[in-house]
Amino acid sequence: MNVQTPIRLTAAEESLAAQLESVGAGDAAVRFREAGLPTRRVEAYHYTDLKVLLSEVPPLAEAVAGTGAPVFDIPGAYRIVVANGVMQNAGTAPAGVITGKVGGSTLTMRDDTVVRLNSALVKEAVNIELAGSVDPVIHIDRRTDGDAAHVATGSKITVAPGARATVIETVATSDAGHMGNLGTYVALGEGAEVTHIVVDLSATQATQFSTLEYRIDANAKLMSIVIQAGANLARAQIFANFVGEGAHGDFFGLNLIDTDQHRDITLDVTHGVPNTTSTELFKQIGRGHGKGVFQGKITVAKDAQKTDAKMMSQGLMLSEGAEILTKPELVIFADDVVCGHGATCGDLDETWMFYLMSRGIPKAEAETILIRAFLEEIVDAVEDEALGEALSGIVDGWLAQGA
Amino acid sequence: MNGTAERAENDMTTPMLEIKNLHVRVEDQDILKGVDLTLNRGEMHAIMGRNGSGKSTLSYVLAGKEDYEVTEGEILFEGENLLEMEPDERAAAGVFLAFQYPIEIPGVSTMTFLKAAMNAQRKARGESELSTPEFMKAVKDASGLLEFKQDMLKRALNVGFSGGEKKRAEILQMALLAPKLCILDETDSGLDIDALKVVAEGVNKLRGPDRTMLIITHYQRLLNYIVPDIVHVFSDGRVVETGDKSLALELEAKGYADYESTDAA
Ligand SMILES: Nc1ncnc2c1ncn2[C@@H]1O[C@H](COP(=O)(O)OP(=O)(O)OP(=O)(O)O)[C@@H](O)[C@H]1O
Ligand SMILES: [Mg+2]
Repeated sequence: MNVQTPIRLTAAEESLAAQLESVGAGDAAVRFREAGLPTRRVEAYHYTDLKVLLSEVPPLAEAVAGTGAPVFDIPGAYRIVVANGVMQNAGTAPAGVITGKVGGSTLTMRDDTVVRLNSALVKEAVNIELAGSVDPVIHIDRRTDGDAAHVATGSKITVAPGARATVIETVATSDAGHMGNLGTYVALGEGAEVTHIVVDLSATQATQFSTLEYRIDANAKLMSIVIQAGANLARAQIFANFVGEGAHGDFFGLNLIDTDQHRDITLDVTHGVPNTTSTELFKQIGRGHGKGVFQGKITVAKDAQKTDAKMMSQGLMLSEGAEILTKPELVIFADDVVCGHGATCGDLDETWMFYLMSRGIPKAEAETILIRAFLEEIVDAVEDEALGEALSGIVDGWLAQGA
Repeated sequence: MNGTAERAENDMTTPMLEIKNLHVRVEDQDILKGVDLTLNRGEMHAIMGRNGSGKSTLSYVLAGKEDYEVTEGEILFEGENLLEMEPDERAAAGVFLAFQYPIEIPGVSTMTFLKAAMNAQRKARGESELSTPEFMKAVKDASGLLEFKQDMLKRALNVGFSGGEKKRAEILQMALLAPKLCILDETDSGLDIDALKVVAEGVNKLRGPDRTMLIITHYQRLLNYIVPDIVHVFSDGRVVETGDKSLALELEAKGYADYESTDAA
């Protein structure tokens, strides 16, 4: 879309443009001033009109020392703390892990405003090289402390051929209107097996953008889980590329949406080579006037014969005011493939409720049992027991808030 | 509801369940058209009747399922108005329905469900929760009695259970929850001959002076194992005949043709 006349920038857009200028990203600033934030007319942002939704942008973060206990504790994990975008001393890395920093954003450039902002604003990213299999869970613990701040951060996770590892990234903030922009790039070498989890636990005034990019080489196995349980406005973008035959990816995601919150997961998986498989399972649960969005796109390239991809999206609405939107999209250029998608959306099943209550389980408890059952499928997918329990804890915490 | 001394006195004489002139409408259709039924303490009643005559409707109304509009009549459980109670309150008070079609609930393990149900009822009665070993022992004993495979307890509730396994699971729940009023809606259908005996034995073990049973069935065969005190014939939303166990044999021989005219009237 060509923009002929300069558009009128909102206050949030003015702040972002000024921030780009302040870090010396002149070209990006010019471009941003021309296009502004994406509106509903941009297809990928149709349900998440950032021009409308993003009313304020806090100043770029100042470095502060990250102290205190993790918001999210995983027993036995190797923890790397990133405070207001700055990596802290990480302690001794377990065997097989090399931890360091890399300059600038780790994302591949693409025509996307969130990615462009990340690319221009990230100064340094966490760099993790996994040379061999790593037993302990690696936890990148990101927190934003102090007054409202705009923090752009990133990670680059490179997994050597045949290596196995579990990496979780959590985002948490102090109680203020922070804005986070996380960009993570994960490259799986041949035959690597990786579980990569991103959990947003930002304060409910905050805005959080997360972009996850995966490059999946031959015979590798990826499990990606995104859980958005925080922030007022959150959008996670997942870009995955199968580049080697025989690889498999499980993409799971969960939006926990409350009051007037807005959560968006936008998935874009490309099967670019033959003989790769994937499953996509995304769940959303809304109460209050929460709005959840899932956009899932699977592209199968012309040569990518024998692709097998199954996408499922499920929504559970606990209130009249909750809204859940789903947009699946299959773009298939090969002819010998098995691809499908399904979607369900509704409130708690009345016959299930009656059955539980007819055994003496009170209404509220029956609801909790059924909600947990709805969410369990995703939490259950995690093999590491301590990690699985920690994730269950997030779900339980969210359920308890509403009670 | 607390068991005062006054109530305790009544308990001996108050029927377990009294259904008086019950009329029920479902989606603008009159299904139950004046059911009268009195079940005393310790009695075993059987209801037989044609498909669609309203037997399951009656059992759902007793358990408290929504969408049933009671247009006339009343139901008293131990003298209390049952229709004012929520399904969970009815269960805690001692009403149990073994479903004709047990519900599959994905994502909820049978074990988790059993524990939640038992503890919820204990809590409602002011009793302490069961410890895990206590719970496990109760489950093990009941499963043994009903020859219910233990490893099925780890699976999601009723999901992928065979028809017979589902029925067995219902009776397992009944044994664990020890209700005062057991309503068994076609528990025998779907059970093989051996399973029928096992389940019947389980049901017979639960018989006692303080427990009342209402067994809905199409087949006399079940009543050879679970011998009823009283048999009712249900037709077009009403009890049209009541007799002793010989009535079941009579029905088996003659069918429901004799009650047709009653329907038309
Ligand atoms: N939700 C409903 N909407 C409309 N009609 C209903 C509904 N539930 C029950 N009915 C009707 O009520 C009548 C009685 O049904 P019910 O299930 O009680 O019969 P039943 O005696 O248990 O039969 P069966 O022996 O086949 O189990 C049937 O005609 C049935 O179609
Ligand atoms: Mg029936």
